[in-house]
Amino acid sequence: MKLKNSLFFLIILFGSVLLYRCDSPNSEVDFSSQVKPLLNAKCISCHGGVKKNAGFSVLFEEEAMASLATGHPAIVPGQAEKSRMIQVLTENDIEQRMPYRKPALSREEIQLLSDWIDQGAKWGTHWAYVPPIKNEIPSLSSSFEEWGSKAHPIDGFIGKKMREENLVPNPKAPLAVLARRAALDLTGLPPNRILFDSFVNQQMTYSTYLDRLLENTAFGEHWASWWLDLARYADSRGYEKDPARSIWPYRDWVIRAFNQDMPFDRFTQLQLAGDLMPNPTADELVATGFHRNTMNNDEGGTEDEEFRVAAIIDRVNTTFDVWQSTTMSCVQCHSHPYDPIKHKQYYELMAFFNNTRDEDTPDEAPIYRGYSANEEKKLQSVVEWVKEKGSAEKATYFERFAHVLEPKFQLHNCTDFVLGELSDSKYLALWNNGSAYLRNVDTQGHTSLYFYYSAGVEGTVITLRKNGPKGAVLGQLALQKANWTVAKIPFAKQDEPFDLYIEAKNNRLGPEQNTSRIHWFAFAPDLPGKKEKGYVAIEKTYLDVLNAPESTTPILVENPSFMQRETRLFERGSWLAQGELVTPNVPENIAPWDVKWEKNRLGLAQWLVSDNNPLTARTLVNRIWAQLFGKGLVTTLEDLGTQSEPPTHPELLDWLSVDLMTTQQWRIKTLLKTIMTSSTYQQSSQWSEEKHTRDPLNTFYAVGPKKRLTAEQIRDQALYVAQLLSKKMYGPGVMPPQPDGVWEHQYLGNLWKESKGEDRYRRAVYTFYKRTSPYPSFVSFDAGSREVCLINRTPTNTPLQALVTLNDPVFLEAAYAFARRYPYSNSPKSIISSLYEDALYSTPSEERVALLLTLYEAAIKEYTAFPEQLIAFFGTEDTPEKEVAALAVVANAVMNLDEFLTRS
Amino acid sequence: MTDLEKLSLELKTQSLASTTRRHFIKDCALGLGGIAMSSLLGACTSSRNNYDPRLNRALNPLAPLPPPHFAKVKSVIYLHMVGAPSQLEMFDYKPELAKLHNQPCPASLLDGKKFAFIRGVPNMLGPQAEFERVGKSGNWVSDNLPHFKTVVDEVAFLKAVHTDQFNHGPAQLLMHTGSSRFGRPSLGSWVTYGLGTENQNLPGFVVLTSGGTPDAGKSVWGSGFLPSVYQGVQCRSKGDPVLYLKDPKGVSRSLKKQVLESINALNYKDYLHYQDPEILTRINQYEMAYRMQITVPEVMNINTEPDYIKALYGVEPGKESFANNCLLARKMVEEGVRFVQLYDWGWDSHGTDHGTAVDLGLKNKCRQIDRPITALLLDLKQRGLLDQTLIVWGGEFGRTPMQETREGKTMQYKGRDHHGEAFTMWLAGGGIKKGASYGQTDDIGYSGVEGRVSVHDIQATILHLLGFNHEEFTFDFQGRPFRLTDVEGTILNQILA
Repeated sequence: MKLKNSLFFLIILFGSVLLYRCDSPNSEVDFSSQVKPLLNAKCISCHGGVKKNAGFSVLFEEEAMASLATGHPAIVPGQAEKSRMIQVLTENDIEQRMPYRKPALSREEIQLLSDWIDQGAKWGTHWAYVPPIKNEIPSLSSSFEEWGSKAHPIDGFIGKKMREENLVPNPKAPLAVLARRAALDLTGLPPNRILFDSFVNQQMTYSTYLDRLLENTAFGEHWASWWLDLARYADSRGYEKDPARSIWPYRDWVIRAFNQDMPFDRFTQLQLAGDLMPNPTADELVATGFHRNTMNNDEGGTEDEEFRVAAIIDRVNTTFDVWQSTTMSCVQCHSHPYDPIKHKQYYELMAFFNNTRDEDTPDEAPIYRGYSANEEKKLQSVVEWVKEKGSAEKATYFERFAHVLEPKFQLHNCTDFVLGELSDSKYLALWNNGSAYLRNVDTQGHTSLYFYYSAGVEGTVITLRKNGPKGAVLGQLALQKANWTVAKIPFAKQDEPFDLYIEAKNNRLGPEQNTSRIHWFAFAPDLPGKKEKGYVAIEKTYLDVLNAPESTTPILVENPSFMQRETRLFERGSWLAQGELVTPNVPENIAPWDVKWEKNRLGLAQWLVSDNNPLTARTLVNRIWAQLFGKGLVTTLEDLGTQSEPPTHPELLDWLSVDLMTTQQWRIKTLLKTIMTSSTYQQSSQWSEEKHTRDPLNTFYAVGPKKRLTAEQIRDQALYVAQLLSKKMYGPGVMPPQPDGVWEHQYLGNLWKESKGEDRYRRAVYTFYKRTSPYPSFVSFDAGSREVCLINRTPTNTPLQALVTLNDPVFLEAAYAFARRYPYSNSPKSIISSLYEDALYSTPSEERVALLLTLYEAAIKEYTAFPEQLIAFFGTEDTPEKEVAALAVVANAVMNLDEFLTRS
Repeated sequence: MTDLEKLSLELKTQSLASTTRRHFIKDCALGLGGIAMSSLLGACTSSRNNYDPRLNRALNPLAPLPPPHFAKVKSVIYLHMVGAPSQLEMFDYKPELAKLHNQPCPASLLDGKKFAFIRGVPNMLGPQAEFERVGKSGNWVSDNLPHFKTVVDEVAFLKAVHTDQFNHGPAQLLMHTGSSRFGRPSLGSWVTYGLGTENQNLPGFVVLTSGGTPDAGKSVWGSGFLPSVYQGVQCRSKGDPVLYLKDPKGVSRSLKKQVLESINALNYKDYLHYQDPEILTRINQYEMAYRMQITVPEVMNINTEPDYIKALYGVEPGKESFANNCLLARKMVEEGVRFVQLYDWGWDSHGTDHGTAVDLGLKNKCRQIDRPITALLLDLKQRGLLDQTLIVWGGEFGRTPMQETREGKTMQYKGRDHHGEAFTMWLAGGGIKKGASYGQTDDIGYSGVEGRVSVHDIQATILHLLGFNHEEFTFDFQGRPFRLTDVEGTILNQILA
């Protein structure tokens, strides 16, 4: 008891210390940089977007200043002592004191809040929501000799801070190091030897060297890998079945866009809304594959609407992750806990995305159907026919219909089943005498019905009636035995929406036996020229073409007006608890909406890349910077919101952002070159004891950037130095060797069909990306599973990585091929020296060669004693000479050096 | 709240402020330069004589850390029956359901409910197994699990677990990552991130599968937004036990040693030049890889176990089996692996064929796990390991008391559909109240009527036993602290000793 009392007394004493207030005059407190971070860290989890305990929230100004249940506001501007908010911070009783049951705020923190209130409690805007301005470039004259007098804007900003910190920059990296650094950063590959030599021998300027690298098509392949992480691109659909998906044309579109240096504003608009461009081209449609990289759930027993909604939600979240560095997923269930975005605004954004045709169906419709040259020729003959017998407008219609086949009615929407059900919860499957309804069908008066079905038996007749079993017959399908075929029948003209009654007859079938499975119906006008000679052939040609697509790329297609979906707010984020109706809208506190934009995805894309949007350019600059320096100017790459780390160089971030939008015209190649021509980028990456002590995280960039290579670069580089790397571009994903049993499907077996010939050695970006089982060596080197948008791969350093580069047959094959590049000579020393130089682009010291020579000799000794070791060497079918084998062992070691796996 | 309670709370909040995981890890990373250099490469200063670089988080992200609170267990073996085992044929005895067998399901159970496959009005399906009360606890176990009956007093049942997901993939994700959507770290990743692992020559988070990969794919052992070093490492019974573990033809152990020495010597030269501590980490990782190449095959080799142990588990050497995996789990835990996750495929008893019928195939599945699980509990116990290990058994959801009807058709075999309303899981080992049974379902086993337990409750309890407060154990990502249990989870004191 005594002890208890005295301890309690101590606490009171402690509390009194907290009460002590310093009365010195205080300078102006800044809300955004000083108060907001404190509120976010200490108060907002109970008084913010999620919880508003005691009715108090510090998320929005109007909420913070409002009266509480007690009738008084918690903050009385100008009067800290009268403000309840300050009073509760200094309560003695831990039950009363805020933060509730958490450590008390420090004296300085309380002082800061008090000062802020005393000074009028002025609210402010978080820096990232204020559009960037082009700050004046600090003069370099006061900076460093090493950087010369010719001011590079980046060096002005970086140099100023460095000087303030009393740091000096590193000298420029040796040309060979810089050459490898720039080549890996731009093309993902080591430099071509001739190009390298002309730069290192100073026959070519650095600027020209960069231009050559930027012109190389390897550039697009490298930078696509970065973008594809954001786009969550994969060659499979995800979820349980995770079957293959043919969306590689989108990946190829990204590679081409990077190589063409497509301005980022256009790059944005096409990916978000290519289908809404006037008369969209095939490329513009394929670009919308960006948002068809959402997963598709084909698992039996899944509700398609649930996963359609999941995909739409992913599109909202990903759009904001990718373009705005803003975590929208929080707002799905409640207002944003930290950033000024309200719950309803999430659904207003969702309304932009909620009107596309896709419905999580197994055909992944809508898809862009690409045709072979031959089929395309046939299609053109139909188009010509329509142009001649009908009109140019009609011709365009039929051409587009052949490529997109929309709008269509998915039959998973059928209801009121009698003797039949959805098969696998996906397709309409009626038995003999079975029926179902498809409600509210609008044919737009079209009189041709195209449908997609599969039937294991002959003799089924499906009758389509208007509104019910007694209704007029509108069409009849006599189904032939077929495996997923598009067929066509005439359909009675209907000018108003109606309920379609579907009934099946096949007396040959026993009870509970499916007559067929029907996937969708699509209505279109008849081909013109019905009475003309050749019509039947043209009709057949058209149907043949529809049944022979070469590629099928999932794309976005907007619902026509008669198929519009309404969007409602989801209470607590649940799609089953739909609330208030909402219409498309953007959070205008981020950027204003221009009335000239249409309220659709294209308008949204225009809003994202408008001059007034403060987040897009900053996001891009920050992430590109991180690709070169290993960390962003804002280190939280995924978030620029109020919980983000403040930028280390805010003026530089803003300068580059404005420059990107104006002078650079949104061109990424220009942005890269701008950064890479700075002295900051060109510094040596050598550390010193002093710099370790003074700036261990290299916040001030007094050390040049060193980065471990990405999973893709590690593979590509190994194949490149071994001269195995294929130059073939584009096409379906390939399957280079991977161990058996990695991708074992329970009932489908091993689905990894190892690619043959050149396809074994393609660049990593072309490797088949299977979501539930990504390529093992990529996973070891931090690649993600591409199920959701990945903004930043956290680089790790693990023993499993060592096992990949030491023992993965791909890397062994590369080491062996690398060794075989060198014809046998009497001087292993000189061979080792060349091999080292060819791998690392630097001449090894005597000492290094000696170390590797010791390894070489040990290997020779081993193979002399145990020649059987050479049989099936490195898992190949060869039995090499012991000298070749020993050199392969050395190559394997060299390809595991830190210098090889990183770029200095 | 008494004054004393307030006081202790005050002290706790004070200490909390100074020791979060993140601080610890961050501090380590910053202090690295000098320490690492002197210790790793032999130039020891006197005060750091005993310094082992493997125990430094910055050199080795899996270095062990002390639990933030008192921990009851050091490691976890999680047995997941992929596909969702039928509680109604194993643990949740429902005599009333037997009486309703073959009668149409009452509309009240179907109204407003969604099932994966059931459409229309299905019939009720009585228990397809015999049950008896066993052990001192008198808990019910069916005759599908005769061996398990002998160890029933070791475990604590949760009879009314529920989940809001009724498709395999999302439900498995929820069970293992706390969210039904992709992108979150798995339980094992959280645990190895928070605690590291004891044996640096083995992965800290091992995954053993029998029958195939779970429906949700490798994301169920993925690291989500945590660094990828914390993802589960699949150890395999066929081929290399860990991918790329085996040296290639032409490289003997002694030659490999020389390869690594050359790599590390050259890397050290680079370190002297660049003074980049990441190079030291790489040197350390290559040494660990070399040791792992020896240790992993040793641990994965069950042939060296005595015959009576092999017989106890019923192992099938050379095959991929759940029995083998149980024995491997014991060996791993014995060697200091932090988290061993077993997935056994084939529990999706829809009754579409013989293998998935609850009265046929399910019995085989039960036979495949009955002996190994019993052996695992006994074997851990006899080694004194059961008290420091937590065993968790369950699926991603349960199964309906109704017989499945698919596409409205009559089913040839007896099967049950997916059911998230109520199912059984059990826990055993350190800190668990032996012989407990918590929660109860209604007479037909449709819903929990008492002691309903959510997936997050179980996760909170697992973390608690490992010494974490699940509400404090967070990771900052996208501007907010994330935790395994999201905003939910209550510790299940009812089953804690």
